[in-house]
Formats: sequence, structure tokens, C-alpha cells
Amino acid sequence: MEQIIINIALWFGLYTIVNLSLNLEYGFAGIPNFGRALAVLMGAVAVGGVVNRILIFAYGVSGNIIEASGEVKTIANEIISHNPMYGILLLLLCLITASILGSITGALFILPSAKLSEDYLAITLLAISEVAFMVCNYNVDIIGGYYGVSIPDVLAFIPGKSRMPVFTLITLIVAFLSFIFVEKLTNSPYGRLLRAMRENEDVVEAYGKNVMTLRIKTASIGAAIAALAGALYSLYSVNVIATSFSRVEWTFYPFLMVLLGGAGNNKGVVIGTLTFVTVKILLTMYKHEITYFLHLPFEAVWLEYILFGLLMYLVLLYKPEGLIKERPIFTTPIKRIARKLHQKF
Amino acid sequence: MSVFEGAIVYSNLLVLLSIGLTITYITTAVPNFAQGSFAVFGSYIALTFFRLFKLHPYGCLPITFILGGLLGVSTYLLILRPLIKREAQVVILMISTLALDLMLLGMLGSYSGYLQSITHKSTTKFIFTPYDFSIFGFSAILIFSSTVIIITLLALFMLLYKTKFGVALRASMENPSLAEVMGVNVEYTRLFSWFLSGGLAAMAGCLLPFRQEIVPSTGAIIIVSIFAASIVGGISSIYGALIGGYVIGFSESLITFSLTGFLGTSILLYSRVISLIVLIATLILAPRGLTGVNWRRIVWSKLSLT
Repeated sequence: MEQIIINIALWFGLYTIVNLSLNLEYGFAGIPNFGRALAVLMGAVAVGGVVNRILIFAYGVSGNIIEASGEVKTIANEIISHNPMYGILLLLLCLITASILGSITGALFILPSAKLSEDYLAITLLAISEVAFMVCNYNVDIIGGYYGVSIPDVLAFIPGKSRMPVFTLITLIVAFLSFIFVEKLTNSPYGRLLRAMRENEDVVEAYGKNVMTLRIKTASIGAAIAALAGALYSLYSVNVIATSFSRVEWTFYPFLMVLLGGAGNNKGVVIGTLTFVTVKILLTMYKHEITYFLHLPFEAVWLEYILFGLLMYLVLLYKPEGLIKERPIFTTPIKRIARKLHQKF
Repeated sequence: MSVFEGAIVYSNLLVLLSIGLTITYITTAVPNFAQGSFAVFGSYIALTFFRLFKLHPYGCLPITFILGGLLGVSTYLLILRPLIKREAQVVILMISTLALDLMLLGMLGSYSGYLQSITHKSTTKFIFTPYDFSIFGFSAILIFSSTVIIITLLALFMLLYKTKFGVALRASMENPSLAEVMGVNVEYTRLFSWFLSGGLAAMAGCLLPFRQEIVPSTGAIIIVSIFAASIVGGISSIYGALIGGYVIGFSESLITFSLTGFLGTSILLYSRVISLIVLIATLILAPRGLTGVNWRRIVWSKLSLT
């Protein structure tokens, strides 16, 4: 039972980070980023490909990335178990690298499509993300492809049993900080500009703002946040396998959670995430029982796909505004006027 | 099969898929992200008839066309029409096709598990290449895929330009609201386009196992090439799908093959990177695709420069 709750909390944290970034891009700015998985994958590349290489270079380990990463893992774990500070610094290094790499890729890959209408944009982003996923999967030199690479355990100083709760706590802290950041950002003039862009790009252009720059900025910030989740997930599982960054898990499910919670409303997205993650974890926990009980001649994962596909469709059809609707913006002047009106009547 | 032959076969299949994608985009204004899974649906129908009734996949083409067409029509009726009635935005329609793609993936996966349990042969991964034969020195897949393309194009041409329904269809593609005012039932044209789209995709899927291995999630892999083909040609023109299919099919097959000389055979895995590069180059240089470019003006400006 405790295990289930920790598992739900961990995935809630990871998905909250991704979903807030998607909400910033899709919910507020109206960019249909069907390539969210790419940013998460970049977070994993930052840890498995970049930080790992730095460590390999620092320790002077030779050989290909797959074997060398294993050796580095042993060395680093040994150091971290005596020196917790080293592990914490490594964790921060990973997160910073991930967000830098994420923001660069986010900005770079929206460039060719920044001028396009939303359907072309969605297609292009999906295509880029799919191809990047495929390349990372086949090419064993980036992050070990389908063999995967090992990652040092940044919490090696914590005894095995309490490692998972501590890591979950770290994830939840990062998720909370992301929430504060996105909430502040979307309540600023910039956030209001994003909403204006979503509603009508021509009006934004007419007021002298460049829609292309806005899109690039937003995609960059969004990807930087989403990459954090990729990095945390890799650090948690102490290895990176490109296969685990599929479109279903990191693009479709985030869209489902954002729409379920309420696009354009950060609190709604958090609630949507919690609902979805709870259902998903319980399904995963009891999948053997479900398979056995229903006498399924196939794996339960296919049933999960049908179920969540259907859920998404029902949300679109019956509750397109989500569990919590987007609220009008109450800026200080509007609040003042509202108070005055309230006093008069 | 020679590389060139393979390129033609692959391009033929891509053309079938991208014509379907384009025609539904023109009539319904939504890019169908489930087009790849439509094809895999066709592959599994062919596999079912092959395993259970020993019907050769080539003989199965008409059946896959009809069943695929029904899948297309039900996609429109059950998924898209209720949303369009509620005046959903394009993004919502796109997400609904993504949801359909996931549902189809789930259904194909469970069906493959079920089929495996009754035939006791692997169905989660299959290929038809060993059952191919040759006709007059050419591989049968080349003959069949080319025949399917020629028949499709002729039928489409006859329908669009020689019948009254075709006139109505073209009118509602050009300007749906005007066509509706003139008494054309836009609903019929949409139903027809979805039937055709599903049918062509399923036929392509029936032939696809002769060229590559099929798994339930193959749709997610080929969707990149389908979109690239449609956009490179110009997603608002049926000719565009034809041109784009051959451009993407040939560049994927031939460019990767010619690169093997420099970079080794491992490059063959990255053929989709080529379609992505062609796609991005098109979006930058000619966002409306090859058929959207005013070629006469370009030639004219070149001539006047000299």
C-alpha cells in the first residue's frame, strides 16, 4: 500500500512537470506541441549523454559509452556514498544541463515551423519528435540506444529502503517549483500576451509583438521545464533506455491530463494529473489480475491504450474545458474596479 | 528485389496512403494522425485471411479495401462528426485522431494477441516477403502495387472529372460553404472521402508486409513518411499527394542507399531522417508544397534575369 502511494506520488511529480510545460505551450500559448516527448527525451540525453560523458572524461575511463558508463557508475556511487554533497551537486548539474539542452532544442526545432498554421505546426513537431526518438533508439552512441546506459545513483548515500521516498520528495519539490514558476509566468503580462496569441495572432501582431519570437520563447521555456522530468526520471531509474520515451507516454498522456484537468488552468492540470496517475498506477499494479480475471489472450497494456484513447475522446466530446475551467484574469486594476463596483451596488 | 524496384514499390504504397490523407484533409480540414494505423489495420486483415483461410494477400486486396473503407467511414461518423457538430477547433479534431490512433493501436495489439492464441503462429511481428513470386522477371509486389496505383488514379480521374458527383465533390473541396449553398450535400462528399481514404490506406497496408516487417505499432513509424509525402506535394492537392509520395519514397530509398557507400549499411535505419529533412526544407522554402509553388513565375523571373 505504502509502495503504491509512493509510486503514485513519484509519477504525479514527474507528470506534473511535463504537463505544466505543455499547459504553458498548448493551454496558454495555443501551440499544439505534439512533440512533447522530444523535450523529455532531451532531458534523458542531458543526463545519459552529456553529464555521463563529462564524468567519463573526468575519471579517464575508456571504451564505448555503454560499458564506460557502467564503470563510471561504480566509481561515482562509491564517492557519493561517502560524500553526499557530491551527489547533490551531481543532481543539480544534471537538472541544469537538462534545462539548457531542453531550451536549446525547444527553440531550435520550432524554428522551421514557427510561421506555420497550427495543423502544419502539430504535424512537424510530431515528425521531429518521432524521428529523434527513432534515432536515439537505433544509434547506440548517443545514449546507448536500446541497450541503454547506466547513470550514477545521486542518492547512493541513502540506504536502499528509503531511497525511493527521498527521490519522490525531490521530484515533488521540483514539480512544486515548476508550478510556482509557471503560475507566476502565466499571471504576468507575458502570460496574458500568450493568451492573446492563442485567441488571435493577428491582433498580437497588430499591437507590435512578433508572434514568431513569442512562439520560440514559449517553446524554449516549455521544453526546458519538460526536460527536467526526463532528467529526474533517468536519475530515478539509474539508467537511460531510449525506448521508454515513447510518444504515448510523454506526448499523448500529457495531452490527456492537460485536457482532463482543464487547458489554460494550472491548478486544473495538477488535479487532472493526480486523477490520471492514480488510475494508471492502479491499472499497472493490477494488470496481471485484470488479465487473469478477464481471460485476456493478450497483454493488458493494449487494454490500457484502448481505455485511455477512449477517455481522451470522451473528455474532448463532453468536457472539452476540463475539470476546472480556465478563469478570467484578475489583474490589479481589474480587481480595483471590481471592488468599486461591489461597493456601489 | 533491386533497390530501384524497392523504391518504386515503397513510393506506390506511400502514394496510396498520402492520397487518402490529402483527400480527407481537403474535405474535413483535419490531418488524420491515425492514417498509419489504418494501414496496419489492412495488414492485419490480410494476415487474418492468409492464416485462417489460406487466401493469398493479393487476393485479399478488394476485401481490405472495403473493410478499410468502413473503418474510414466509421472514423468520420463516430469520432469526427460529433466533434464537428459541437464546433470543435482543428486542434481538438487533431487530438481526437491521435486518440483514435491510440485506440486502434490497442485494438490491433489485442487482436494480434487473440489471433496468435488461435493460430499458434507469431502475429505480433510478421512479413509476407517469402510468399511473394515473380511475374516476367519482375517481383509480383511491383506489378500489383503499380496496378493498384494505376486503377486508383484512373478511377479517381473518371469520378472527379466525368461524373456529376465528381463535380459536386470538387466544388465542395474548393469551397464547402458555397457548394452547400448550391445544393451539394457536403456530408456525402465527406463520407465518400473517408471511405476512400480508409480503403486506400488498408490496401497499402495489405501490400506493406511484402516490403517491411509489421508490428502493431508500425503505424506510428510510417506516419512521418505519410505526412512528409502529403506536405511536400502540397496537402491541399491530390496531385500533390501523388508527386510527394514519389519524391519522399525515392529520396528515402535511393538517398539512404547511395549514402551506404560512405557511411556503411547502418545508415539504412535512418531513412526517416531523410523524409524529415525533405519535409523541413519544403516547409521553409515552399510552405504550400510543390504544387502550391507558382512555377511559371519562377521560370519567368529566371528568364528575365538573363
